[in-house]
Amino acid sequence: MKRPLYLLPLLALVGLRLAAQPSFEGPVPSTVPEIDEDRRRAAYVRRVDEILGWAAAGGKATTDDPAKLDLAMIAAKIVRGEDLPGCSQRVIELMREPGTGPFWMFPTVCIAYLGRDRLSPEALASIRTAWKTTRQQRGDTENHFVMYYASLYLMAELYPDESAETWYSGRSSAENFAEASAFLIKWIDTNTTVGQGEFNTSNYIGEYAIPLSFLANWSKDPAMRQRASMMLDWLFAELATSSLNGVLRGPHSRTDEGAVIERWQAMTSFFSWLLFGNTPPTAGYSGWGLYFAPLAKSYHLPEVTYRIATDRRGDFIQRDRARVRRLWRYSDELSPPVYKTNYLRHDYGVGSTTGGLIDPIQSHVWDVTWAESDPRGKHPTMFSLHPHSSSRAMQSSFTAYPEPMIKGVTFEGKPSYDSPDKLMGSSPFEQVFQDLDTVIALYAIAPGERFPHINGFFSKDLINVTEDDSGWIFAQGGRAYLAYRPLASYHWIPYLHYKSGWAKQRLNLGGRVLTSPHLNNGTIVQAAGVGEFTDFAAFQRAIRALPLAFKLDPLPAVEMTTLRGNKISFTFGTVPQVNGRAVDYRAWKLFEGPHLNAEVGGRKLTITHGRLERVLDFNTLSVTNRVK
Amino acid sequence: MKIRYYLFLGALSCALPVLSAPPAPEYEFFIAANINRNYVIGSKIVTTNGIFRRDVAGAWQHVGYNDTGISAFAFDPRDRGVIYTTTTNGLWRSLDGGKLWRICNDSEMTEGLDVAVDPNAPDHVYLALPDGIAFSSDRAQHLERREHGLPARGKFTRALAIDRTRAGRVLAGCEIGIYLTEDAGKNWRQVLPTKDTVADIQQSPHDPRIWFAVTQSAGAWRSADGGLTWIHVPAAPGDRPLHNVTFDVTNPNRLAIGSWGRGVWTSEDGGRTWTDRNAGLPAGARVWRVGVDPAGRLFASVVEETLFQSADFGRAWRPDALAGSAVKKFLLLPKAPK
Repeated sequence: MKRPLYLLPLLALVGLRLAAQPSFEGPVPSTVPEIDEDRRRAAYVRRVDEILGWAAAGGKATTDDPAKLDLAMIAAKIVRGEDLPGCSQRVIELMREPGTGPFWMFPTVCIAYLGRDRLSPEALASIRTAWKTTRQQRGDTENHFVMYYASLYLMAELYPDESAETWYSGRSSAENFAEASAFLIKWIDTNTTVGQGEFNTSNYIGEYAIPLSFLANWSKDPAMRQRASMMLDWLFAELATSSLNGVLRGPHSRTDEGAVIERWQAMTSFFSWLLFGNTPPTAGYSGWGLYFAPLAKSYHLPEVTYRIATDRRGDFIQRDRARVRRLWRYSDELSPPVYKTNYLRHDYGVGSTTGGLIDPIQSHVWDVTWAESDPRGKHPTMFSLHPHSSSRAMQSSFTAYPEPMIKGVTFEGKPSYDSPDKLMGSSPFEQVFQDLDTVIALYAIAPGERFPHINGFFSKDLINVTEDDSGWIFAQGGRAYLAYRPLASYHWIPYLHYKSGWAKQRLNLGGRVLTSPHLNNGTIVQAAGVGEFTDFAAFQRAIRALPLAFKLDPLPAVEMTTLRGNKISFTFGTVPQVNGRAVDYRAWKLFEGPHLNAEVGGRKLTITHGRLERVLDFNTLSVTNRVK
Repeated sequence: MKIRYYLFLGALSCALPVLSAPPAPEYEFFIAANINRNYVIGSKIVTTNGIFRRDVAGAWQHVGYNDTGISAFAFDPRDRGVIYTTTTNGLWRSLDGGKLWRICNDSEMTEGLDVAVDPNAPDHVYLALPDGIAFSSDRAQHLERREHGLPARGKFTRALAIDRTRAGRVLAGCEIGIYLTEDAGKNWRQVLPTKDTVADIQQSPHDPRIWFAVTQSAGAWRSADGGLTWIHVPAAPGDRPLHNVTFDVTNPNRLAIGSWGRGVWTSEDGGRTWTDRNAGLPAGARVWRVGVDPAGRLFASVVEETLFQSADFGRAWRPDALAGSAVKKFLLLPKAPK
């Protein structure tokens, strides 16, 4: 058929407009994997250029006014070679009021290195002076330390042989370098032997990826470059195995009020978009993404990781370990292990830890999350939790005095911490067991607890929500059937949405919270694919037919047969049993599954997809690729 | 002969006041204050924080670095120019009165909670950490862990207090009690088990055998034998966190406690009875610290309100300065030689 030629200019205009559009405002990308390596790489480079172009054009400010440039925009302009005198002038202005911690340090390191031979000597000197005059806070979290020490390491390398009085730390370049190097090597060693503390974070992935990228590119030490490059591979391999069409699901050591509900609304989505191309980035490339972009072209995502991230044809289960954030007080262990289960299917994923306190504020213990063709604005998840709020719990991780902390955290990006209807956080009164796509969450809340109830999240995006006489609540999310069984009576309250952890107000976007005001309590969720049943009614019949017995006193206990035929016996405070055998968590490896495998203490991660294999061996600092 | 006798008497009359009652040492009064409402790590600091010295006119003069994360501080008793501060980063030291600073610890130590300098061995510095105690024999140029005798868990250390009568004798307030070393931290032993963290330990300026300690949820404790044994002080408030205790250098019977939730409580009989002294202070009794200056004026830091002072030991209060502050430590020190 002949195409009308007069439409061509119009189509060209539309095409140009689409191409010029930032991807966070554009259509949702295809989730079909790009098998051709060259095309995949070309698409990646285009995405990097898109970020740099957007940032260099003024980003959100969309301005050419140099007075409004921030360090991210300056970084992009340096990479693109635009207005370097203006950049130099603006750097000098910005360095007159230095920041005070790792979130300021790594952007300035970025400018210092990118601008080494491009910015004026005065601009470079202004950065160096700021590193002398202004004391930098090291912070109190794992990501703070990584950013702080990666930045200090690189600045000490950039300005070697300088005396102690020329640094804010009062230590010489050599001392700063030695301290930073020791931390970074130990941090990598800890992660590759007993796991990460801030594991599977929704929003802190940039705080790791960016400093690692800097080290991988700019460190003079080939060993450090190699370590950092391998850790980037490690980090992105974990993202690949934990995300569904680019959207990271639970569990998380740390997340925020927005991301735990609108699952896509997270910095991990930016990295999925950039690396895998299978979901849109969040607005402004998640902010910190602008600092990954300047060096992004030097990173080559291993094909095996790409395949894992984009191939959801087969179901898989990963059982991995991580560790709890440091517990200074009120704990028998400084950093107890965390056991994670992660079950991925084409249409949904189920993930969990075994409960208990992980991070005092921002943990997310378990959920079922379903795939949405366009995840933006969707709340594709279901879970329950005990809304634990406790100054004692916070004191276990923070050294500050207890009393002002609860108020304090609510304006430090965790506004829901002391809200009875909150939907984020872990609790010492929650224990969870996951078997494939069945989750049993049991609660034994101590009398006198601030919030003596549990909350279950029911999304606005569920359809066919049915409170069945059997006690099950049936629903459908995307192409997942869901059955939610509260173990005690409940009532509904509206769900009020925080757009992010820094949201000032809550929005009623729909959705409900199932609130069950009983100290001994529980939730069972069973998920299944729509394609597994002839219709919704058939799924309901199958769930009703499952053998199930439970009691709440003296402690919650469940005995059931799952939809997959496994007999589960789980009592609060005891080790769960599957088909009569107790789960031996102590035997769990650092990673175990079809895609990621590592021994505890092994310092070696094997990444596998089909016949592709990549081994990151930190013992020898070597990477081995193999086609089996 | 008579003249000689009168000269002798005259000389004796001049000497007697010195021999019978040596003049009280002159003191200086310091605080560490954070005025950092809404500060989060990384943001610009727009207020003045850190150490302040009270001058003769009653004004607070800032000393050293504008540090928003300060938790405690100490000086070398020989030289006020040698300053130690604990902060989120750990321990900082200045040898030149606060112009240049050096971070003393590496990444293995973090979040310094208290620092103390031994007046009888002034090169010796002790650092309280969330996971134990560090020691330096060279003015914090090098730090080492000294924790033998501390428990594997429960050594969260909030407070350090050095016995001014003997070098190397230190009391540490930990999560599960008070620990004592008599050999500069080489060995520690528990002298008081507590069910919660010991927040502060103080030695009486009048009688070095008398000590007071307060805890987060286990009340107040008194020792009359140099910290070897302790008895509970039932009359002091104990149901809410007690942040610190202070003696009055002008009066051996006067003590004050600062508490979050119970505010200011004072005793004027050596700690036997205690009185609520919150009338005139902002509601809520959110007192971070109390201190007594060299003239016996009682100060109370009410969180995010301001500093208050009382000329009559808490019966009436008036606002002082430092609006929006939380005072992390009051320190009354004998004047240093330089």
